[in-house]
Amino acid sequence: MTLDLFLLQLFTGLALGSIYVLVALGLSLIFGLLTIVNFAHGQFFMLGAYVGAFTLGFTGNFWLSLIVVPIVVGGIGMLCERFLVRPLYGRGIDYPLLLTYGLGLILLELVRIIAGTQGVPFNTPRLLAGAVDLHFFFFPKYRLFLIFATAVILLALWILLEKTSYGLIIRAGARDQEIVQVLGVDIGRVWLIVFGIGVAIAGIAGVLAAPIRGVFPEMGVPVLVEAFVVTVVGGMGSLLGAVIAGLLVGVTFSFTSFFYPEMATLSMFVLMALVLVFRPRGLFGRAGVLG
Amino acid sequence: MSTTPVIATEGVGKRFGGFRALSDVTVAFYSGRLTSIIGPNGAGKSTFFNVLSGAFPPSEGRVLFEGRDITGTPQHVFPHLGIAKSFQITNLFPQLTALENVRLAAQAMKSRFDIWTKRETLSELKEKAEDLLNRVGLSKRRNDLAANLAHGEQRSLEIAVALASDPKVLLLDEPTAGMSPEEARAMMDLILKLNEQCSVILVEHRMKLVMGISDRIIVLHHGQLLAEGTPDEIRNHDEVRRVYLGQSV
Amino acid sequence: MATDSTAVGAIRNRGPLEGVRPAFDLIARQRVLFTILFLVVLPWLAPYKALAVNILIFGLFAMGFNLVYGYAGMLSFGHAALFGLGAYGCGVPIAKFGFPWYVALPLGVLIATTAGVVIGWFATRSRGIYFAMVTLALSQVVYYVVYQSIWLTGGEDGLRGVSVPSISLFGIAEFNLLDPTTKYYLILIIIILALWIFSRILASPFGAILEGLRENEKRAAACGYDVNRTRWFAFVLSSVFSGLAGALYAIHLSVVPIETLHYFTSAVVLMMTLLGGMGTFFGPFVGALVYLLLQDVVSVITVHWQLVVGCLFVLLILFFPRGIWGSLMHWLRI
Repeated sequence: MTLDLFLLQLFTGLALGSIYVLVALGLSLIFGLLTIVNFAHGQFFMLGAYVGAFTLGFTGNFWLSLIVVPIVVGGIGMLCERFLVRPLYGRGIDYPLLLTYGLGLILLELVRIIAGTQGVPFNTPRLLAGAVDLHFFFFPKYRLFLIFATAVILLALWILLEKTSYGLIIRAGARDQEIVQVLGVDIGRVWLIVFGIGVAIAGIAGVLAAPIRGVFPEMGVPVLVEAFVVTVVGGMGSLLGAVIAGLLVGVTFSFTSFFYPEMATLSMFVLMALVLVFRPRGLFGRAGVLG
Repeated sequence: MSTTPVIATEGVGKRFGGFRALSDVTVAFYSGRLTSIIGPNGAGKSTFFNVLSGAFPPSEGRVLFEGRDITGTPQHVFPHLGIAKSFQITNLFPQLTALENVRLAAQAMKSRFDIWTKRETLSELKEKAEDLLNRVGLSKRRNDLAANLAHGEQRSLEIAVALASDPKVLLLDEPTAGMSPEEARAMMDLILKLNEQCSVILVEHRMKLVMGISDRIIVLHHGQLLAEGTPDEIRNHDEVRRVYLGQSV
Repeated sequence: MATDSTAVGAIRNRGPLEGVRPAFDLIARQRVLFTILFLVVLPWLAPYKALAVNILIFGLFAMGFNLVYGYAGMLSFGHAALFGLGAYGCGVPIAKFGFPWYVALPLGVLIATTAGVVIGWFATRSRGIYFAMVTLALSQVVYYVVYQSIWLTGGEDGLRGVSVPSISLFGIAEFNLLDPTTKYYLILIIIILALWIFSRILASPFGAILEGLRENEKRAAACGYDVNRTRWFAFVLSSVFSGLAGALYAIHLSVVPIETLHYFTSAVVLMMTLLGGMGTFFGPFVGALVYLLLQDVVSVITVHWQLVVGCLFVLLILFFPRGIWGSLMHWLRI
């Protein structure tokens, strides 16, 4: 394998991994603070793609849709959290999981009803079409943009969590909810916003992935599984884990599809199995966060 | 008294992330004795108890049982070795009856994967459970759900459950927690009686209670071994007196 | 038949409603008998026989699932793999290799159980929340593999040609499986056997351990029970029942749709168990009945059945987590 080819596969993997990172990040964020596994996560991904497609359709502006999507999807998420998920706190870890699964089914079917079952078109924005010469190889501009956009979102999230007082509350709440409440913080508000951010990121991932994957109602179904695999590999509740694992899974997929295409989809499961054998809590998972 | 301690720790330390809960605790417990572990709040008693009882392994050092290294052995193996424990915060099967709580505990020594025999045919387990409930004075409450028992009764049930495995060593974490003085007295009498059958190691933060009944006392402070000896030796120990100054002795 | 008063007696608590109690108390005590009675008359109550067969099969599937979720407290989202492998494991030998039913059926169960051993091992290495995710992911692996193996399984189109037109027992009696009523009662015999075994398991020492594990895992470990291994064993047992259900499904439909392996099927069995009442003996069949009837009725009105399922999920979780039978049992304090 030549260096050019290696780098090409690597970058392709990073682009693919970027989507995984964003989806897993949202999932881990929600779990880290709310201890909920959002089984509707894949459908929020899909919602993001649809909202983006419609915004693009109405305004013709891709960049605008990048702004509208997190707001709308986050808003829908917050509504769901407030009225559907919130009543279940304290009832046991399975209940929110099951509820979000039902929610996911509802979202999926509603989209089918509203937007039809065939899907809608989503073309790569002209500015980002074509390929760019990266000296070793030619790389699709859009995928490069994907990697870049993900990095920007990661940076924004990092700033929010590490540098703002709000982020401090979120991090503290993830460690110990009671203390945060005792200190007078309205934990309900924090949950609302964290859930909103978590699904908003999934929504952004959806619209970013749209030019590549297309936009159709079922697009979120495999995403849930992918998000789980990445989360198991990275460690539930760990944001660093989501990033590393997401990229790792993407790159693994990329290289496997080069050498052994039929095994490509299975490669991420093999990775997950290995992690479960040698380090069940995930690469960066906290021991005992699950027990 | 044999020369091999029934349980011993060598240089046991425990870290939780950046926080050091225990350092370099080396201590030996001999068969047949009733040893109490005391110390002010935050001394590391519970952590030490958890290491002794197998809840988690130490970060450094070794735990030995009858001379064998059992460091890192999983929790569920301990009763099979002969080490039974009760929890500081009552930890029972809430929706099962008192009798079933003890029967199930006794069953662990006999049958763990039997999917065919009817439970009732293992009548010796039921008899044993009845006997144990009797010993801790809970016979009348045998058909009541554990969740419905009074706090003191639940603590007694915890002990019956621990005894179900016929342990050589009984580890009790603050058995009188939340009890009135009379209840605590009764509990201590029970423990003293149990000591006739097995070694007892108990964690207590009320010094007064353990002075009268212990063969030996171990004092922990800031995660380290402060003193060790007979109740009299501990009572007159300068360091111990200093540490406990201001607290009722 | 095995009647179980121990398990019920151990956790029973006196409640206020005494009027209707005796009837339901009797049902709870003689649960196997009552279930059988109910299933015997079912074909005459159901709108059509094929639906009744489905209720039998999915009831069994849900029973297997209930062992893991209702009794052992582990939320599995991967039971589609066990059901589906039971179906393909029985169907492929019949359709592709001409095996007789009495070899294919146990083969299907064996394959499903093997998958249960493997999936269960990986899944029980992770606790709580992870368990659902890992079982989902691993069952999707099965889905992908079967999907790709078009030469063997028919891939996306499903497996065709699982035809078992008749069964002859020891050369004495010949049963025509094309007659729905005959098919129903033959399958019922197998289900009754399964019910009996299941009841024995619940009444066994292992059944007591599952109860304890569900109540307080930490205490169970402190008593000397290997929690992981116990859970793994429960999962394997569960896969026997769910795999058997799948094998019967293949024979019943004469085809195996690829959807049996998709995680929506895992959600369906979960829904049935929830609907009926997890941790109750009769619940899974009640749930299967209600779900399949509902699906039948709703599918005539609208094509958006999944929307109804989703709403059902949400409503159940928010307001009736105990399910139909479970709520009944609870209100009557049985």
